[in-house]
Amino acid sequence: MKNRLRRYDTSVFFLFIAPWIIGFTLFFLIPFGTSVFYAFTDARLPGAVDYDFIGFSNFQEMLNNPTFGKSLLNTLYFVGVGVPVVTAGMLLLGLLLNMNVKGIALYRTFYYLPTLVPIVATVIIWRLVFNSEFGILNAGLSVFGIGKTDWLGSEGLIKPVIILLQVWISGSGVLIFLAALKNVPKHLYEAVRIDGASRLRAFFTITLPMISPSILFVVIIQTMYNFQMFTEALLLTKGGPNYAAYTFVYNIYKSAFTDLQFSMAMAQSIFLFAIISLVTFVLMKLSNRFVYYEGEK
Amino acid sequence: MSASTKRLFSQTGKYALLTVVLALFAGPLAWMLSTMLKTKAETYKAPPSLLPESLNFESFNRLFEVQPLMWRWIGNSFIISILVVIGVILSSSIVAYGFSRFSNKYKNRLFPIVLMTMMIPPSVMMIPSYVLFTKLHWVDTWLPLIVPAWLGGAYYIFLFRQFFMSIPHELDEATYLDGGNRWTVFSRVILPLSKPIVMTTVIFAFVNTWLDFLGPFLYIKNNEMFTLSVGLQLLIGQTSQDFPALAAGAFISIVPIGLLFLFAQRYIVEGVMLTGSKG
Repeated sequence: MKNRLRRYDTSVFFLFIAPWIIGFTLFFLIPFGTSVFYAFTDARLPGAVDYDFIGFSNFQEMLNNPTFGKSLLNTLYFVGVGVPVVTAGMLLLGLLLNMNVKGIALYRTFYYLPTLVPIVATVIIWRLVFNSEFGILNAGLSVFGIGKTDWLGSEGLIKPVIILLQVWISGSGVLIFLAALKNVPKHLYEAVRIDGASRLRAFFTITLPMISPSILFVVIIQTMYNFQMFTEALLLTKGGPNYAAYTFVYNIYKSAFTDLQFSMAMAQSIFLFAIISLVTFVLMKLSNRFVYYEGEK
Repeated sequence: MSASTKRLFSQTGKYALLTVVLALFAGPLAWMLSTMLKTKAETYKAPPSLLPESLNFESFNRLFEVQPLMWRWIGNSFIISILVVIGVILSSSIVAYGFSRFSNKYKNRLFPIVLMTMMIPPSVMMIPSYVLFTKLHWVDTWLPLIVPAWLGGAYYIFLFRQFFMSIPHELDEATYLDGGNRWTVFSRVILPLSKPIVMTTVIFAFVNTWLDFLGPFLYIKNNEMFTLSVGLQLLIGQTSQDFPALAAGAFISIVPIGLLFLFAQRYIVEGVMLTGSKG
């Protein structure tokens, strides 16, 4: 009797989660499975029925792709430079907005606004601001005697400009840091103040360790985001000038939709998935040494 | 220096710092507003003037003239966002009930998979999804944008589950004693108590759908079916030298989210805290 009831309850459970099971199967398992399969064929179009198995050829040829190396280097730049810069920017903004002054809530609202701007609108705004002839940025800088800069047309500047754009829309990360900062117990600061420690020291000995779980979280999210950098690069300068903002995902997109080589695009997607998984895993492992969790011995 | 002057000094310093950084963050938005209100000729002045000579809304006329589909795209974005919101609320809350109120071995094995799918990089799924939607003949329809939302998105399931976990089980027990079943508990007890999380999810799902670019960009080719985001991208190509009209287009795409944010800031902030991202 009891067993039958339990079995009945289990089927009710499956009824409740049925939407997710269908969605997970249809929109994840099946497409991912078939695409991994495709990566080892020479299928050029998504609906191809006529294709051959070619083993690892796509993966070998991927390395010979003329834009592969460039796109990988650009992506590594975004990860290596962008992640630390954006995370530090978020943390500084978090500290700034955690200051105890009247009207701070209003300031917080304004800092968060850019995060809610659709990416295409963001790009329009940035083109207006960074326009070398008529933009407000160069006009503002000329007051300080800085000459006209071609922000979007320079191979050396386009990646920093995109990283800056990420800081502009970093409101979500700032919110996470803000919440973490509020959770640091006040009495810890009082204790070190009695010991005569400076604010800077208090930051490194108390704040940083106490919010380290949030830092890890933001670093992982940022790392995944920058490995997948594409939309900003596509919309701002179409990956240019001269491929300076041409990223790995851009190359996947081009292989699939311009070169019409879907199996090749899939091979690259698997490669990217492997890299992201590996890096996230290493970050988690490394973090065991640096991240402090409250209540842990 | 006395303690109070010192304090006044540091207070002023704090405001000065906040205001400078604020100018950097709000500046680009202000520049958009200013550009939008200028005449085309004014935007070709070098050095540019900070403010328009007079308030001029011609840019909007030109915008709708160059791109008569603007209204349609705005409507499309609203329809898609609303359909996604309804689907997310219905499906995610039901699935989340399953993952929060049952206890069996399957639940403990399946829920980690839900969490895992939250970590899958979307760009890795870009090509596989496209292949799937091509085979389903869903490309160039709204189905790829809407149907997945009706089948339980991992983020929203997680959001609902966290909330349901905090509702005491005593209420469930009382309902069972009154002869209720699982569905009565869900629809009469849990859901009515979940208004805050429903609100958060409504707003969150709406904002995320409105902001989505890559989905509609990949799956929709027919101009008339575009969302506003993808439409604006087309507009950049069409009239890249008409700065006021472009600024007006950007402005229009920001307004709905901006208004929502003003009235429902609390829920957006909550959503970010719970899931750690805006999409």
